[in-house]
Amino acid sequence: MATPSPDDVAASIQAYLSSRGVPPSQIWLRTFMPTIKLNSPIVALQKTALFRVLATDITTSLNKTSVQTLPGNVTNPAVKDQTLRGPITVQVLDVEDIGRSRWSQVEAIEAQERGETTKGREVIRVVPEENASSAEPAATSSGPHKLLLQDASGTNMYAMELTPVNGIGVQMSIGTKLVLRDITVARGMCLIETKAVEVIGGKVEAWDKKWRKERKARLKQMARLGGDGDQG
Amino acid sequence: MPRNGDGPMKVLCVAEKPSIAKAVANHLGGGQVNTVGDKLIRNIQGNVYVKNFEFQYSFPTWGNCNVTMTSVLGHLLSHDFDPRYKIWRDCEPSDLFDAQILTFVEEGKKGVASNIERQARDAKYLFIWTDCDREGENIGAEIRHEALKGNRSLSDPGKTVRARFSNIERAHIINAARNPVTLDEAQSNAVASRIELDLRIGASFTRNLTLSVQPMIHQHFRNKDQGVISYGSCQFPTLGFVVERYLRVRNFVPETFWTIKLMHEKDGIKVNFRWARNHLFDRMVAVILFERCLTSKTAQVMKVQTKPTSKWKPLPLTTVELQKCGSRFLYLDSHRVMQLAEALYQKGWISYPRTETDQFDCGMDLRALVQKQRQGGPWAQFARGLVNGGFSAPRNGRNNDKAHPPIHPVNFVAPEQLSPEEQRVHEFVVRRFLACCSEDARGSKTDISLLYGSETFNTSGLVVLARNYLDVYRYDRWTSSQDLPDFREGDVLEPTEARIHEGKTSPPGYLTEPELIALMDANGIGTDATMAEHISKIKERNYATTRPRARPPRQNNEDDDEDSGPDVPPAAQPDRGRGRGRGRGRGGRGVGGTNTRGGGGTSGVQEFIPTTLGVALVEGYENMGFDISLTKPFLRKEMELKMKAICEGRKTKAEVVHETIEQYRDVYVRTQQRLDALRAAVRKYCFSENG
Repeated sequence: MATPSPDDVAASIQAYLSSRGVPPSQIWLRTFMPTIKLNSPIVALQKTALFRVLATDITTSLNKTSVQTLPGNVTNPAVKDQTLRGPITVQVLDVEDIGRSRWSQVEAIEAQERGETTKGREVIRVVPEENASSAEPAATSSGPHKLLLQDASGTNMYAMELTPVNGIGVQMSIGTKLVLRDITVARGMCLIETKAVEVIGGKVEAWDKKWRKERKARLKQMARLGGDGDQG
Repeated sequence: MPRNGDGPMKVLCVAEKPSIAKAVANHLGGGQVNTVGDKLIRNIQGNVYVKNFEFQYSFPTWGNCNVTMTSVLGHLLSHDFDPRYKIWRDCEPSDLFDAQILTFVEEGKKGVASNIERQARDAKYLFIWTDCDREGENIGAEIRHEALKGNRSLSDPGKTVRARFSNIERAHIINAARNPVTLDEAQSNAVASRIELDLRIGASFTRNLTLSVQPMIHQHFRNKDQGVISYGSCQFPTLGFVVERYLRVRNFVPETFWTIKLMHEKDGIKVNFRWARNHLFDRMVAVILFERCLTSKTAQVMKVQTKPTSKWKPLPLTTVELQKCGSRFLYLDSHRVMQLAEALYQKGWISYPRTETDQFDCGMDLRALVQKQRQGGPWAQFARGLVNGGFSAPRNGRNNDKAHPPIHPVNFVAPEQLSPEEQRVHEFVVRRFLACCSEDARGSKTDISLLYGSETFNTSGLVVLARNYLDVYRYDRWTSSQDLPDFREGDVLEPTEARIHEGKTSPPGYLTEPELIALMDANGIGTDATMAEHISKIKERNYATTRPRARPPRQNNEDDDEDSGPDVPPAAQPDRGRGRGRGRGRGGRGVGGTNTRGGGGTSGVQEFIPTTLGVALVEGYENMGFDISLTKPFLRKEMELKMKAICEGRKTKAEVVHETIEQYRDVYVRTQQRLDALRAAVRKYCFSENG
């Protein structure tokens, strides 16, 4: 069986990524193609491409002519209510649990740093697991969460979790990609509900690392500001 | 098997304290030993507290015997290092991990010991009547040790026995006398291990700590006021809890939060609804959601649900629970509560007050115990009601130490016969017991939910239908709320008032004694029998002080606000009255959920504030960067678990002592390398130097 032509594979990958809401730019595709073996099954190549593109910054990797972006007036606080048809692909730049005080989150992080967690009244020593990659215990947050989202053209918008959405929380990766459909934006704040958001996944490693490293300091600083959220 | 010739055999009975010896002698000897001045009560040489009681008693297996009933005064033997380790400067503190330990009878107890040795000489049987717990088992072994000096034959099988009893009510004691059991060597060994470990670890760390810190304190203050700075493997974690909370309070940063308050008036009743989100820490989000509520103009009733609810009667009383309730309801610290309970036990009014068991054995005749309480006291009528059909079997908790039942009254005593403090503890024990034997309180709870914009608001109402146990257990509160107007599912209404409200978080309180006991209990620091001692030790050593918790100060920038503690998860606080001593306490308007806490009114409870030295010690050790810190509960918890393993025959004393010493030796070595951290903490807190 002949090896498929690079153009056919590229077209197939492009079609697949577009169907998932992340149409790649030509530049991205051109740098991606040389890294794969053309005779691999196409399904595997599509999955690899999706994984890779989800790990990128969408302002550089997506095709801005075929992906929808946020309308220009989206962050205008004078607009009381508008609905975005979408689908609009965005990436998460920040996530915050606004149901708990920042200080209590700082305390939880510090307990974790000391290797402790509490179960009821009992203080439990967290023994680091053998595979150190998963050493960070899933600090679950109950939310609701406030997110900072960014579209492919670099427009930022705040969003809040109107109802709990699976996959959204402080344990989610920074750089996670979401697709918004028929979503309400009130006074420049996007109201996230399960039916209006699809969590595609992904992570931008450098951003995520920096965000986690600085999280405690950021929470401390915000707590000291009196608790009023960063209004951008 | 009665013998011919030289009369009945002699049985030597030895109790843990003189009061028990006297009570048991009275029960077994009938009235004979009761007469004051009767020559059957003999003084012993060398001790004025211990007496020998002589009487005759017929045991089922031994027949009629001459009995001598005497006692010790707690532990008979003392343990200390060989004298050559006495001079601190002459050895390394770490030598004490392996130094030889001598076992001896202290001067003040020599009379007691020789009395046992003498009395044992002509005894056929040694019958031990120490309290039935680990400590008692070990004291029993010490008694046997002394008795064997006078009579080797007592080591033969079946010659030394012990009584199993948990109170000194007459029938119970007679039953114990007729059914002796063997001494539990495993429990005794667990205590022996604990004694050895506490001595070695306590002495080596105390010396090391004192030698490292005391000179700098003397030098700084130019006096010699600072004495030995002692370390104890239970006291340090106990202090750790106190300091941790103290630092949390001190470091606390208040934050602003926002909530939406909704009130709707119907049928002349103003009903307050709670925002399901409780409060948010982001103003922009709260304002946007509030605007969407107002925009929607009307709210819809989504749910109206009325269902029966009950407030459960309390569980049978354990030691830890008694101590917690003592400080919460009786305003007595845990140490004092235990002293009083001990006195009530020795007088025969209540069962043994050191127990982990929160379930009554199904064989116990609880109705008979309830009947005794009909005779008088403010609870007499309630007890009569239980006897006349109100009785309900107690709930079972999860713990059973297989040695003692839950603490309960074993006999009736008129309150006037007791001291005022004893009365408080006794009354609590009786009321708790009667509450356990009565019905849960019953009520009916109505939950109403509104959807307003995208937001849900809830309210609930409670009607108490039958108070039941609450009538006798006045320490719990559960009251009906205001009546709710008639709401129907699907009703659309225009809320009378909706407003956005700003509040501020407030710091937690300093650690109270009930909280400290609960933390020690959950983390395995000490046993139910020793927790109170550890707590009083940290005060005695001047690592912490206590003061009555003041009525909570009202926040300046907060009007009457039930949301003063927003860090409490909403689920844990189903009512509006946010109990726990914050806000206005008690929450008269509070609407109880199914297991509402007694709530509120905590003034009178003691709270713990560490001294500068206490903070310095905890921070000093913590900054040494151990993964296993001395001020954390983990090491001690492990030790307690190993004691348990000895009791259950899974480990030997030698294994446990060795393993534990090696663990602490390792920590000791690492401490040595990081003493600078300890000294820096002392300078920072005790001398107020930065650094």
